[in-house]
Amino acid sequence: MSNKTGNDNSSKGLMWKLLKKHISPAQLVGFSLASLIGLTIVILAVQFHQDVRPIFNDEESFIKKDYLIITKAVSTAGTLLGGNNEFSPEAIADIEAQPWCRKVGKFSSNDYSLYATLGVGGVGGRSMGTMLFFESIPTEFIDVTDSDWKFNPDRPEIPVIMSRDYLSLYNFGFAASQGLPQISEGIVSRVPLEFTLRGNGNYDTLKGRIVGFSNRLNTIVVPEDFMRWSNERYGSGIDRNPSRLIVEVNSPGDVKMQDYLNDHGYQVAGDKMQQGKAQYFLTLVVTIVIIVGIIISLLSFFVLMLSIYLLLQKNTKKLQDLLLLGYSPAQVSRTYISMVVAINAAVLVLAIIIMLLARAYYLPTLQALGTSGGTVIIAIVVAIIIMALITTGNIIAIKRKINALWIQGA
Amino acid sequence: MNSITLHNTLPAVFAGRPDTGSEIWLREVKFERGKHYLISAESGTGKSSLCSYIYGYRIDYSGTMAFDGRDIKQLSVDEWCKVRTHHIAYLAQDMRLFPELTAMENIQLKNSITGHKSTQEIVAMMEQLGIGEKIDSPVARLSIGQQQRVAIVRTLCQPCDFILLDEPVSHLDDANNAIVAQMVSDEAARQGAGIISTSVGNNVKITVDKEFKL
Repeated sequence: MSNKTGNDNSSKGLMWKLLKKHISPAQLVGFSLASLIGLTIVILAVQFHQDVRPIFNDEESFIKKDYLIITKAVSTAGTLLGGNNEFSPEAIADIEAQPWCRKVGKFSSNDYSLYATLGVGGVGGRSMGTMLFFESIPTEFIDVTDSDWKFNPDRPEIPVIMSRDYLSLYNFGFAASQGLPQISEGIVSRVPLEFTLRGNGNYDTLKGRIVGFSNRLNTIVVPEDFMRWSNERYGSGIDRNPSRLIVEVNSPGDVKMQDYLNDHGYQVAGDKMQQGKAQYFLTLVVTIVIIVGIIISLLSFFVLMLSIYLLLQKNTKKLQDLLLLGYSPAQVSRTYISMVVAINAAVLVLAIIIMLLARAYYLPTLQALGTSGGTVIIAIVVAIIIMALITTGNIIAIKRKINALWIQGA
Repeated sequence: MNSITLHNTLPAVFAGRPDTGSEIWLREVKFERGKHYLISAESGTGKSSLCSYIYGYRIDYSGTMAFDGRDIKQLSVDEWCKVRTHHIAYLAQDMRLFPELTAMENIQLKNSITGHKSTQEIVAMMEQLGIGEKIDSPVARLSIGQQQRVAIVRTLCQPCDFILLDEPVSHLDDANNAIVAQMVSDEAARQGAGIISTSVGNNVKITVDKEFKL
């Protein structure tokens, strides 16, 4: 009796010799090409989306996405006639009722005198002071961790998010002309900052700390609980309507929303809406491309299925004879399954390589736009998932077809 | 496996026909391990159907068939594979060889899953049957008689409790018939297996314990 492994190998070799007959290389090449094109289109689109997306997203992790800051337009007539730029409670309720609006937050501002001192150069160094203002928005619009973004009256230190423009103004305008050192964001966070608050018969000097810079919030933001505490302590107690609103929206590019804002004479701060539109079109185009890729992949899947069915049909007699010899349907299927797995694995690897090459080609252009691209993991995972699904479909079909040969007709 | 029993079995195509006096169909039949049976039949009496039912690749019959009392329609695919490689050695009437493979490859295709015979033993059997020089010839180029001998060698390449032969010597001369009979009887004796052989006239020359008319 010869050894078992040798027998296994010889039976596999014989099976292949037997079953490879009727395999059509042209059909398999056709399938592989179609599959390769489909899969490459899908994952290249996914990868491109990953790479381009950072351009549209500002990197302010502490501000939630998809929100707008709106104000009323300031007109000359309004200024002269003492017009009101505040949002009435009715106007706010109306905005909240719009389908595109998820949430509205009011900006509240300080109702007392505020003076800030920025010490540069440590003890004995020069310091700089200015009259200042604070605004606050509800905490739910801000994504900093709780420990950073709260105020404790017992150990008063005021966390501040500042407009990045202010730092630019200082660095490129003020510091340059006054011979002061330019400071980075990292250093600013460590610069001693003091705020003097005065009003309602109270007078205090509190320490402050900058926790972040924002391109979007064109103001100086403090936690809402601090604003409440300070307005109670130093303020006049007069309640005022907000003149600025922060609105979380479903999609910043929404046309209905734009019409609404135009009709009511509201202005949107920043270019979020333009970006929203561009991003919307990017997503739309990428989605279309992905759908086309998926259709091609599906078609290639059916080409392979047809090819396999044809092959099994032509080899029906042989397959049945193998089953009669005592080969299990699983053993008989294995020959074709190995073939399909090998082809699909090759297509998968090739598609990933082509995707990476294409990416290497367009990446320099993106880098010029200031992004180093996103991760490739997602596209690769998508490729593996799609191929796993296609392969599973193939395997199930082969097994079912061969199991159906078990009982032979009379 | 010690017995194969038939209880009221009838091929579906025979349903409604008057009783033809068959000693197999619609009867209680028991084949026992170690004994030799001959089923003589005329063409069209369901000889090959009987074999295909016993070997599990057709189920178009009424009544029951059982291995050791267990209804064979209850057997799983895995159990059938085990039957086909360890319990019943089957020679189909149409032999079911693969014409594009050589004689040896055809035999190895079976032997590689059972590991029952060594290459030397297979060669010796083929030489005994006078097809030693055809070992590496594609089966397509062998005569029907030679193919039948290749198929017989392949059938014997497995452990078994029954050897089921569907017209094993229909294309063989008397001399080869005698050699086949000897070879099959020896293999059955070695394994303590029973032999069930069908024939339409040219009987394999084995000693028979019981003969059935189909």
